[in-house]
Amino acid sequence: MNESQHLSSQFDEELGRLRTHVLQMGGMVETQVSSAIDAYSSGEVASVKSIVEADRKINDLEKAIDDDCAHVIAKRQPTASDLRLVLGISKIVTDLERAGDEAKKIAKGVRRIYEAGHLPSQYGIGIRHLAEAALNLVRQALDAFARLDTAQAQEVIRADSDVDTEFKSIIRQLITHMMEDPRTITTSIEIISIARAIERIGDHAKNVAEQVVFVVEGRDIRHVKGQAK
Amino acid sequence: MILAVIAAAIAIPVGIFSRPWHGWAVFCVGLVLQQLIHFRHFSRLDRWTRNPVVDASLEGEGAWDDIFGRLYRHEKELRAQIEQRDQTISLLRAAAQALTDGVVMLDLQNNIMFCNTTAETQLGLKLDTDQGQSILNLVRQPEFVVYLEALDFSRPLTLRPERYKDRVYAIHVIPYAGSRRLMQIKDITQADRLDQTRRDFVANVSHELRTPLTVLAGFLETMQEIELDDTERRRYLAMMADQSDRMQSIVQDLLTLSSIESAPPPDNDAVDMANLIDKLRRDAEALSAGRHTIVVDADGSGDLRGSEPELVSALANLVTNAVRYTPPGGKITLIWKTSPQGAEFAVQDTGPGIDAKHIPRLTERFYRVDRGRSRDSGGTGLGLAIVKHSLNRHQAQLDIKSEVGVGSRFAARFPASRVANQ
Repeated sequence: MNESQHLSSQFDEELGRLRTHVLQMGGMVETQVSSAIDAYSSGEVASVKSIVEADRKINDLEKAIDDDCAHVIAKRQPTASDLRLVLGISKIVTDLERAGDEAKKIAKGVRRIYEAGHLPSQYGIGIRHLAEAALNLVRQALDAFARLDTAQAQEVIRADSDVDTEFKSIIRQLITHMMEDPRTITTSIEIISIARAIERIGDHAKNVAEQVVFVVEGRDIRHVKGQAK
Repeated sequence: MILAVIAAAIAIPVGIFSRPWHGWAVFCVGLVLQQLIHFRHFSRLDRWTRNPVVDASLEGEGAWDDIFGRLYRHEKELRAQIEQRDQTISLLRAAAQALTDGVVMLDLQNNIMFCNTTAETQLGLKLDTDQGQSILNLVRQPEFVVYLEALDFSRPLTLRPERYKDRVYAIHVIPYAGSRRLMQIKDITQADRLDQTRRDFVANVSHELRTPLTVLAGFLETMQEIELDDTERRRYLAMMADQSDRMQSIVQDLLTLSSIESAPPPDNDAVDMANLIDKLRRDAEALSAGRHTIVVDADGSGDLRGSEPELVSALANLVTNAVRYTPPGGKITLIWKTSPQGAEFAVQDTGPGIDAKHIPRLTERFYRVDRGRSRDSGGTGLGLAIVKHSLNRHQAQLDIKSEVGVGSRFAARFPASRVANQ
């Protein structure tokens, strides 16, 4: 996007600030997800509280950025690529906020498991790997947005299906566990909901990547299955 | 000018000797010719200024020649200066690239102006796409954002980057040239780890010495306050001696470790391996007192080069460990193998085995797989640390393989340069 075409450099600055704010919010979400996963592996339930608190900050940021978007549209009436950027941002923040919520869900699930006196590590190490993959997707999607790099965005969209596949295999594994030993059912169900939250984080990363493609190329590639993207 | 003077010089006689308007006509023709010449030069100059090049295209006659000459020289000097400056800049850039620390130059709005390749890998930046973009767009960790926006750079930020979780960076921000900022990123992972090890070490030494000291103090108090009969007194004294022996051996091991660390490189004497292995076997049998089967599998020819006392103590330590930790009825095999690549001395046991998560930390000082059990068998927690150090001084590696419930294999691998008489 060639921002130098604008006559108003103040407008440029506003857009730049908006973008930086979105990416800072993204940074907070990244930290949330990785702290939640660390809590899962280490069992440090104390960090759950700070994750829940930080989620409130993310929610506030979402509202603030949405307000800013409305302001920019009302005041500047952006057109073409600028309008797409603002529209894209308002969708990206929604996805980021939801990814943050999922991180909170993971943290709370971890607390329930450890407080019940169970160790999630006995249920396979797949969760940690799945979470690393999902976190990587979030990071790459945000990088793609910072650089407006559609190639990387496409890569995220493709890689999300790997996360989905991994999620399914973890579910199968847990079902086997539950059938073998019904005493593990409570914990297994918690772990399934954690895995589901991680998988959702991957989906949100994919949505962010789709918005990046929309912002740059003006093509809406949501829900286009089986066609060349 | 000259042309106008010549025209006047011709026109005046023509005017006098012929009719006056003939003279004027000649003069006018001269003026027009001069205008044409000027116009030609002017258009040449015009063309040149549109695309100034240092070549011979800018040439003229008369007064124009001087002007063109000066312009030509000016342009040439300017170009030389620019080239020199370019060179200086690229040298400075190369110097920044050569730094082992990451360097990022930021402008007023925290936009990236330049970064070196070290910073690119440390922070996941790409200079060619990220130049001019705010660094906060790419390094998004909340603590970094807060640090950069707080504008208080009196102390460095210690950052565990989200991208590489096992690393630790110290980030210094140095304001320069008004409100621009130079960010220096130092990788302090190693220093951080050392710090941690040192803290652990002090804590461990204190703990290891405190335990026997507490026992000793307890007995002393008892003996001071209560009258004991002879047998009880002897029993208590024996237990006190045990504890003081324990403390002594810990201190002894610590001294050994520190003397190995500060000693000059080991000797290069040949150590007779056949003899040494035989001695190790006898020691093992004595320690085991018939509880284990001890087998020697030494098909290696050749001897080791190095300091005999150090090698004997290191290898004996491996054997003693195997005897101590293998339950009665187990089998311990001493293996000696040589090949053109080097030699290997290994001790294989059928003991309880060690969980994989402990193996990387086994050679740490005072590291214990199972606190209670290893103190029962009389270890100080320093044995393997000493072994590792002694072996390192002989350029040898300690290789540990173990499977829980099956047994362990501790092997010392020596390089070919340490093998003699093969």
